[in-house]
Amino acid sequence: MKSTGQSTEPIALDPIRFEVIRSALTAITEEMAATLRRSAYSTNVKTRQDFSCAFLDSELRVVAQAFTQPVHLGSFVELIPRAVRSYRVENMGPGDMILVNDPHAGGTHLNDITLIAPVYYPGDPAGQPAGYLATLAHHVDVGGGAPASLGAFQEIYQEGIIIPPVKFVEGGEIVSDIFTLVMAQVRSKRETPGDFRAQVSANLIGTRRVISLFDQYGYDETLFYMNELLEYTSRRTRAEIAGLPNGTYKAEGFLDSDGFTDKVVKLVIEVRIEENEVFFDTTGSDPQRRAPVNSTFAMTFSGCAYALRALLDKDLPVNDGFYRNMKVHAPIGTVTHVAPPGPVVGGWETEDRLNDLIFLALSDAMPDRVPAGTKAMQCQVGIGAIDPVDGEYKCTYEAIAGGYGGRMTLDGPDAVQAHGQNTENAPAEETEAKHPMRIARYELIENSEGPGRQRGGLGLRRDYEFPDVAAKFTILADREISGPWGLFGGKAGRKAYYILNPGREATELGSKVTLQLKPGDVISYQTCGGGGYGNPFEREPSQVLDDVINGKVSVERARTEYGVEIDSTGRDIDESATRRLREAAQ
Amino acid sequence: MTTEKYRIGIDTGGTFTDGVLINELTGEIQITKVPSTPDDPSRGFLNAAARLLREASVEPKQVSYVVHGTTVATNAIIEGNIARTGFITTEGFRDMLEIARQIRPSLYDLQFEKPRPLVPRYLCFGVPERLNALGEVIAPLDEDAVRIVALKLKDEGVEAVSVCLLHSYANQDHEQRIGKILHEVMPDVAISLSSEIVPEFREYFRASTAVVNSSIRPIVDRYLGSIEERLRADGLEAELLVMQSNGGVYTFEAARERPVYMVESGPAAGVIAASYVAEAIGEFNVLSFDMGGTTTKVALIQDGEPKITKEYEVGATAGADTGAGRGSGYPIKTPVIDLVEIGAGGGSIAWVDPGGVLRVGPRSAGAVPGPACYGQGGTEPTITDANLILGRLNPDYFLGGEVLLHIEQAEKAIMSRCAEPLGLTLLEAANGIVEIANSAMVNALRLISVQRGFDPRDFVLVGFGGAGPVHATKLAMDTDVPLTIIPMSPGITSALGLLVTDLKHENSRTRINRVANSVPREVEAILDELEALGRGALEKEGVLESEMDFERHADVRYVGQSYELSVELAAGTITQATLDGVTADYHVAHEQAYGHNAPEEPVEFVNMRVTGRGKIARPNLKKVARGKGSDGAIKETRDVYFSESGGLVSTPIFDRYRLGEGDLIAGPAIVEEVDSTTVIHPGTSAKIDMVGNLLIRSV
Repeated sequence: MKSTGQSTEPIALDPIRFEVIRSALTAITEEMAATLRRSAYSTNVKTRQDFSCAFLDSELRVVAQAFTQPVHLGSFVELIPRAVRSYRVENMGPGDMILVNDPHAGGTHLNDITLIAPVYYPGDPAGQPAGYLATLAHHVDVGGGAPASLGAFQEIYQEGIIIPPVKFVEGGEIVSDIFTLVMAQVRSKRETPGDFRAQVSANLIGTRRVISLFDQYGYDETLFYMNELLEYTSRRTRAEIAGLPNGTYKAEGFLDSDGFTDKVVKLVIEVRIEENEVFFDTTGSDPQRRAPVNSTFAMTFSGCAYALRALLDKDLPVNDGFYRNMKVHAPIGTVTHVAPPGPVVGGWETEDRLNDLIFLALSDAMPDRVPAGTKAMQCQVGIGAIDPVDGEYKCTYEAIAGGYGGRMTLDGPDAVQAHGQNTENAPAEETEAKHPMRIARYELIENSEGPGRQRGGLGLRRDYEFPDVAAKFTILADREISGPWGLFGGKAGRKAYYILNPGREATELGSKVTLQLKPGDVISYQTCGGGGYGNPFEREPSQVLDDVINGKVSVERARTEYGVEIDSTGRDIDESATRRLREAAQ
Repeated sequence: MTTEKYRIGIDTGGTFTDGVLINELTGEIQITKVPSTPDDPSRGFLNAAARLLREASVEPKQVSYVVHGTTVATNAIIEGNIARTGFITTEGFRDMLEIARQIRPSLYDLQFEKPRPLVPRYLCFGVPERLNALGEVIAPLDEDAVRIVALKLKDEGVEAVSVCLLHSYANQDHEQRIGKILHEVMPDVAISLSSEIVPEFREYFRASTAVVNSSIRPIVDRYLGSIEERLRADGLEAELLVMQSNGGVYTFEAARERPVYMVESGPAAGVIAASYVAEAIGEFNVLSFDMGGTTTKVALIQDGEPKITKEYEVGATAGADTGAGRGSGYPIKTPVIDLVEIGAGGGSIAWVDPGGVLRVGPRSAGAVPGPACYGQGGTEPTITDANLILGRLNPDYFLGGEVLLHIEQAEKAIMSRCAEPLGLTLLEAANGIVEIANSAMVNALRLISVQRGFDPRDFVLVGFGGAGPVHATKLAMDTDVPLTIIPMSPGITSALGLLVTDLKHENSRTRINRVANSVPREVEAILDELEALGRGALEKEGVLESEMDFERHADVRYVGQSYELSVELAAGTITQATLDGVTADYHVAHEQAYGHNAPEEPVEFVNMRVTGRGKIARPNLKKVARGKGSDGAIKETRDVYFSESGGLVSTPIFDRYRLGEGDLIAGPAIVEEVDSTTVIHPGTSAKIDMVGNLLIRSV
């Protein structure tokens, strides 16, 4: 079966071989993901799964990717091709890997570091890469002005180390000069080397598997099927898009602050669905700020790609065949496509909100598919302190869930990640065992749901306590003025609150700040609830009762927001009073 | 009346309850299949047991062991038929179960839902108390608050309560005091303390384990209780045991207290059987391949021990290809045999997707209507239909002729739904369905072997389950596994597994500390304490000291990592050399699992684990007669499709019951028996061994 790469015979498509190779490619990226997850060091990569893996063909088109964080989609489409082209293929060889994170050259924020491995097939006489494997991991700290490289800055240079495409692994060995140079910038000296090694390991495993795939099915034939996979995906994507209502849909919204001024940040999105293609345009969005809310093009692309993908068949692969049927226009110099030297670390706020706005724009055309306003912010947390126990500088990064929006027939789930973000929580016990801090509270926020016929999900409260250390704490989020919108008569969810020392001399904080805490301080991070869908007075009273019994909605709120009177036992509906309330509201 | 002793294994599945009776002396096996009775599964159990005894003319008093494999615990969770349960935790963490892992189980689905918590929020309570990661008390337990909560739960009429306090793995005191108060207030309510069930860190996972235990405990208690009562009434004095998810067995009594250990009881039995079958011929590295009607389960056994996982979710949805969706079920941290379960079984449906590509599963035709060829109204083609069209199954001898297969129905389904839309012939389409199913199964086999750092060439494949032997030989060829073993009566192999395992009790404790800083004496003390717990449980089960065996493992990682690998601790007193051995072994294990290690990095202990084993003598399988040449066992020839031969090939069909030791069969060939069909591909040949196994190798 081995091919020399010189065959000129045309290959006939065998639909069975196609399916076999297709699932093998997916299995390869999933195997890489499993390797990365199991051997990484940081809670963020391992437990929270803040990473993604992909395989690209020799033309740098995404062929397969592992099921992890859709916010990374754009990096695969933008960053990897640009990095490989700028480094130049002729400067790479077998066993080499290229490291890159440059936001202004196709990347996202600096913490997301991508490691790219060209794959050479020994049977190919031309000696050109047969494709590229890549792992992207969010590293907990990459230097810069605040721990976890999270904070409100005015230039990219303050956000951490910028890594242009450099050879990080040469002939299978980590290049120690580069490694040492990078590590010198990093606060978390223990976790980061382990995470890098895990990325190298995932690429090595992937390389082995791609080569054995070529061995098994023949080099030319496998390449042929890779191309066919893209064609197949494109055909299906176009057919799916043809099933969406053609038209131009527009929405605009605002971030509540930019981190330096209280001036809201305007975001505009236009979605144009044509016969077989979809166009996204952010023209009209605010000019970029000297503040952390700027999105890179890759981030904006991710937001659009996630939104479109979620509207199509669940079973559709995500690869170049999908991407080639969507176009994103984001004018450079705006918050949706930052130009150098703009900072980007909070650009996810823009990306996430654009995603929500796309669903808002489409809500009249596809009321059965889209949710009401969701959390649609990242709720990033960055913490750093010198651990008094061992003298090490410890950094923590995490991102907290919030309420999801109501859907046409389903409530918005409580406390869940939204859109392109699907990272897990860090167990309090794991955090407390590794870091000099305590999670004092982690619970749902009662009455935070956006009322609706299908209500929004409840937001979360997570309180961080630092009994023994003066930690630095960064909040990078939004929604301190308004909560996620409701749809079709549903109401907005409760807004977010960021509070220093709740219950004592409580101070309300902004959504994009770094604080130097004193020992004993507490930060209460309270995320928003999701927006409601439909008129809350049409909500099934038994569902309202259920929420009251479970303490998610108060008796008073049941009455005022839903027109449902709960009797004095707290366990039953007062039917006649409910009827009166609801009739009076008509 | 003889004095011979017997063992009974009863494996309750979704459709059938399988029973196996084995003569301890002769190894002679009697099998039976009765319909399962989902409304009250104990009836199916008792029917199967009664029938076995009757047909073999065995007195109840002659039975020494009864071992049960059951899905009653999992079904209770999946069907939501669970006990009314309360949950108590540290103040501030009441919503641990509601929040779960804060993720969506399916990434691109805007209509997703999170799994519904097993305890409704109004039965969840936080109480004032707090420990730190070292187990030190930061805030004392407020016992009055606990008493108030206990009274509320009593008022609510809960049947069970779980307790999971932060850092209770490091200090059980507060949980135990809560347990005591609950018991005082509600003496009849089953209480599950997370620190007793699985004292390991990561609170949600520990809590979820305790809650799963609580919520199924009253159901399992009633179920096993009623079986026990009836068996005793019938004069049966045997030891009553249940298969655990980790492949060991424990007593009904222990199972009624800790049912969370038996959620994957049924599938575990199959893996144990595969290990037993292979071990009997001197093979200790095994891939277990169990293919039934709706799913396929594969597992890896190394050195005679199945791989165990502690990342398992009860009630998770199985995908068509690479297993379950994360966050779609309820995690448990109790040991479960590391199975990869995929939605491809005999009844899995083949379809053409909107992009014009042939796909198989994860939807299944189930038992009703079943594959199209069952003639029960099914119109969608399944893997079974494809195998029938390819000539691999005998339409007149499916389940020994109990089910008549309708070729024309299978043909119609495959033509209209697959062949015509794709422009393929009937045979090409049928072969395609089988190849695609095979490729999903190959991926699953790679997932548990290559992906975990094991080379399939060092393993043998044991194929069983009704559909397993149809596919096993081809899978072995595709994964370079040199030897395939098909045991006799592959359809009841799982039930056989119930009879060949040991009593097992695992106890563990989290203790995070660098190996280099650990004091051998202190490590020894923890291990002794854990061993004492296991010894106590085994003594309670009547195991003699001479039949006990204890294995000690440590879960270890590089300082800063978040997941651990398990390393066995050398026998004997723990010395500095033992600890150095742990570090060295960990570097090796890490290299094997992930392809790299970091010898310069410090290594730390996370959990200590002791598995106590009460050895049960394994029965010997009955020998088959010496063969007289396989030709005498040919019952007919039939055209069977083999793509490697380019189409239909006239193929001899063998009667398995007429084959004897030493007989040889050259592929292509088909071997038929009542409960399964073995396909021997061209390029391979089979040899019949002493106990009737088909040993298939490439030639």
